[in-house]
Amino acid sequence: MLSISFGGLLRRPEAGAALGLVAVLIFFAIFGGVTFLKPGGMASWLNVAANLGVIAIPLGLLMIAGELDISVGAMVPFGAMTVAVISGHYGLSIWLGVAVALSFGVIVGLVNGFLIIKTAVPSLIVTLGSLFAVQGIVLGLTVLITKSTSVALATEGPAKAIFGDFVMGGQLQVMVLWWMGLTALYIFFVHFSPFGNWIFAMGGDKVSARNAGIPTDRLTMILFVLSSTSAAFVGMCQAILYNSAQVAGGQSFIFNSIIAVVVGGVLLTGGFGSVVGIFFGTVTFAIVTQGIYYTDFDRNWSSLIIGVLLLGAVLMNNTFRHMALAYTPKKGGK
Amino acid sequence: MSFMKTIARVMATTALVAAGSAAMAAEIAVIGGSNDDAFWNIIKKGIDDATPAVEANGGSVTYLRLVNYDNFAPDVVQLIRTAISMEVDGLVIPNWVPEAEDPAIKEAIAAGITVILMNAGGADKAIELGAINYVGSDEYVAGVAGGEYFGTAGKKNILCVNTLPGAANTEARCKGVIEGVTAAGGTGVQLPLPTTSFGDATAVAEAIKAELLKDPTIDGVITISAGDADSAAIAVAQAGQATPAMLGSFDMNQAGLDRIQAGTQAFAIDQQPYLQSFLAVSLLASSIDFGTDLPVFPVLTGPGIVDASNIEATLAGVKLGAR
Amino acid sequence: MSAPILALRGVNKSFGPIDVLHDITLEVRAGQVLCLLGDNGAGKSTLIKIMSGVHQPSSGVIEIDGVAVGLPAPRAAAENGIATVHQFGGTFPLMSIGRSFFVGVEPTKGWGPFKVYDRKRANDIAVKAVRDFGITRIDDGDRLVGGLSGGERQSLAIARAVHFGARVLILDEPTAALGVKQATHVLRIVNEAKKRGLAVVFITHQVMHAMAVGDHFAVLIRGAVAADFHKGEKSREEITDLMAGGASMASLEAEIEGYMASHDGHPPPPAH
Repeated sequence: MLSISFGGLLRRPEAGAALGLVAVLIFFAIFGGVTFLKPGGMASWLNVAANLGVIAIPLGLLMIAGELDISVGAMVPFGAMTVAVISGHYGLSIWLGVAVALSFGVIVGLVNGFLIIKTAVPSLIVTLGSLFAVQGIVLGLTVLITKSTSVALATEGPAKAIFGDFVMGGQLQVMVLWWMGLTALYIFFVHFSPFGNWIFAMGGDKVSARNAGIPTDRLTMILFVLSSTSAAFVGMCQAILYNSAQVAGGQSFIFNSIIAVVVGGVLLTGGFGSVVGIFFGTVTFAIVTQGIYYTDFDRNWSSLIIGVLLLGAVLMNNTFRHMALAYTPKKGGK
Repeated sequence: MSFMKTIARVMATTALVAAGSAAMAAEIAVIGGSNDDAFWNIIKKGIDDATPAVEANGGSVTYLRLVNYDNFAPDVVQLIRTAISMEVDGLVIPNWVPEAEDPAIKEAIAAGITVILMNAGGADKAIELGAINYVGSDEYVAGVAGGEYFGTAGKKNILCVNTLPGAANTEARCKGVIEGVTAAGGTGVQLPLPTTSFGDATAVAEAIKAELLKDPTIDGVITISAGDADSAAIAVAQAGQATPAMLGSFDMNQAGLDRIQAGTQAFAIDQQPYLQSFLAVSLLASSIDFGTDLPVFPVLTGPGIVDASNIEATLAGVKLGAR
Repeated sequence: MSAPILALRGVNKSFGPIDVLHDITLEVRAGQVLCLLGDNGAGKSTLIKIMSGVHQPSSGVIEIDGVAVGLPAPRAAAENGIATVHQFGGTFPLMSIGRSFFVGVEPTKGWGPFKVYDRKRANDIAVKAVRDFGITRIDDGDRLVGGLSGGERQSLAIARAVHFGARVLILDEPTAALGVKQATHVLRIVNEAKKRGLAVVFITHQVMHAMAVGDHFAVLIRGAVAADFHKGEKSREEITDLMAGGASMASLEAEIEGYMASHDGHPPPPAH
């Protein structure tokens, strides 16, 4: 019985991601020493994982549904700049800045979703277009309004505490709590409510899903709104935390979140994956990128080590997916 | 006193009339970056402030700006050709793309135009092309100034955070910092961050914090850009060192200036773009009109260190659009 | 004799100037298997799309239970109990059997916002439904559909359609991509569906498969019903000849042999 349930665990979408996570933890516990596992060190990769994870999960759901949203790379600075201009440059209420930043996220998501549904142009192309368009809007408007590409923002009071402060002894970003909470919500909706089944069906075969009565268009809209609003949220929180917003930046979120999602066991072609897997993938990515700083490796080799570890994690995933597909209980396969 | 003033005014008027009729009054063109770019708006302020003196001598100054950076090299070359066809006497030009610009600049010089390189290019390039001077900053020299600042403050172990490793200018900045602090008796290392962290404030902050946790003897941190200093400030505050590491940055933004005012950042290294255009235009006009020859070569407008001692004046300059 | 569940009467379909179907009249009765035979391009897939509401006939009548109705959309067909199962089963290869079975109609437990997908119930129902069709190899609802054989996937799709109240099953070339053994599986399931009183439209170009389960046969040639006969009325050779457009298979074989004899045993070069 024990071996059967263990086999069952190995066939889950997050199995590879979980083992990959354990592997990199061991790797850095050996080469990074104790500092890496002390609260300060753990906070270091948890903070990075949280900011990435809030974007990676909705992006992962889009990928499970067979779509992609790379405009998140522009939504991070857009969210940051919106709150900085409204509440920093104009000195209006921080709550107004937060509300407008998030609404812009919703609007861009709706535009992305609408274009993809109506034109049937692949989402990679549509969101590539909105990536550049939003970057242009951020740069153009910021310079027009503030005559600069960097805007300062000083926040105090509850807004600072809720969106951009440190908690639990001043090491963890409050974003970590947001990330945990959102992950729990996503797990419920994707794996326990019927809603999640629709996402998988959409990614597996869109036409069959529509024939089975799933509102694929509405679902597509919701997922795009989720991803771009989440990215705007992360940008907004970073601006509040770092008291400043820059026009540039955010592009690394595109590849980093796709990597986290794929390391987390989501199939690039859609239809397969899990929220827990994406969670593990995000933590793995954060550990790999941050763990380097706790080791004695020459920093010039960072990218190489990151690349090799991530490739390893993805290969591990592939192996487990094949195991899941090849599994036939009667023949005693593994 | 009032007699002297009157004489001066009469003389100036005479000079103006004389210069106005003379063929040698300096017609100057300055080529610069796009309107969207805050840096080039400060450059414009320098040009605007230098223009009255040129006009007083009967000359003129035209600022030719790129509309955008989408078709960069061809557009810059086109602007140089525009200046040549305007039959200007002097040209101030950043040598951004040497391989594209050099032939056009040589053409301008062959057409009898006096050229000063500004902002990009350097002294060697000025000599090679036949420009009379280079007005701008030198990343390495700026780095050395930053390193010496740490050294003077008694800091011994400096981390230079490079979020764009491999780029010539950022590498030169960090190299300068390390050699500057080494000369002052300390040590320094570069922290090259992989591209996965570029533009992610948290990733940059956590990388710096990790280095501080791993090596608590680091007592100085400098970033290659103003935005990265926003992350570094959080990292330094988070690292929990007994004496927080001293923070400096190349370039400056409002948040950085606020930190210098509040005391959580020690300094920012400014290349002072205002001086680049102001001096370039003035030097060029004076050379064309009066044949002056500045023995200082190249003319470095930076590094200007902004710290607690001059933060108020700097902030005043920011308000006026000159910093 | 009661009215057929689904009947086409004088159905024509043209796409612009191209006539695809001419005057098709067919009846599908409960507990019977109608085999639609035809070569590629004979109009079989257009006919399926008309029966499943994807295309509308240019003229003619569609009757359900003897009443003339239209099938303006796939949903209308589904509401009338017409289910179409495509060649690859129309299932989601990377979903579990239980989840795939209940896509769009997930069973839940709990209430309000805490309604959760009832995995155990979904798995139990799905596994039972498939096993009732004789596919005993499927016993774990958490297995991925992609891990099933082609025949098992077809069976799953058919079981799903039956479970959700299908009265007419349209099976589009269910055996085309399968090996002999797998095809036997599917044929057994077609028989099982028939036994349960479903009407089955079985589209194929494999005469052997058709003859194994069919009660009623219609041969489609260039968009028209060339022959309409019942079980036992024609031999395999006759049907094959019909499908080949009337040219006798025997004469074709003779022709090929003749060609090879006159070309030192080389087969004729391919036509294209």
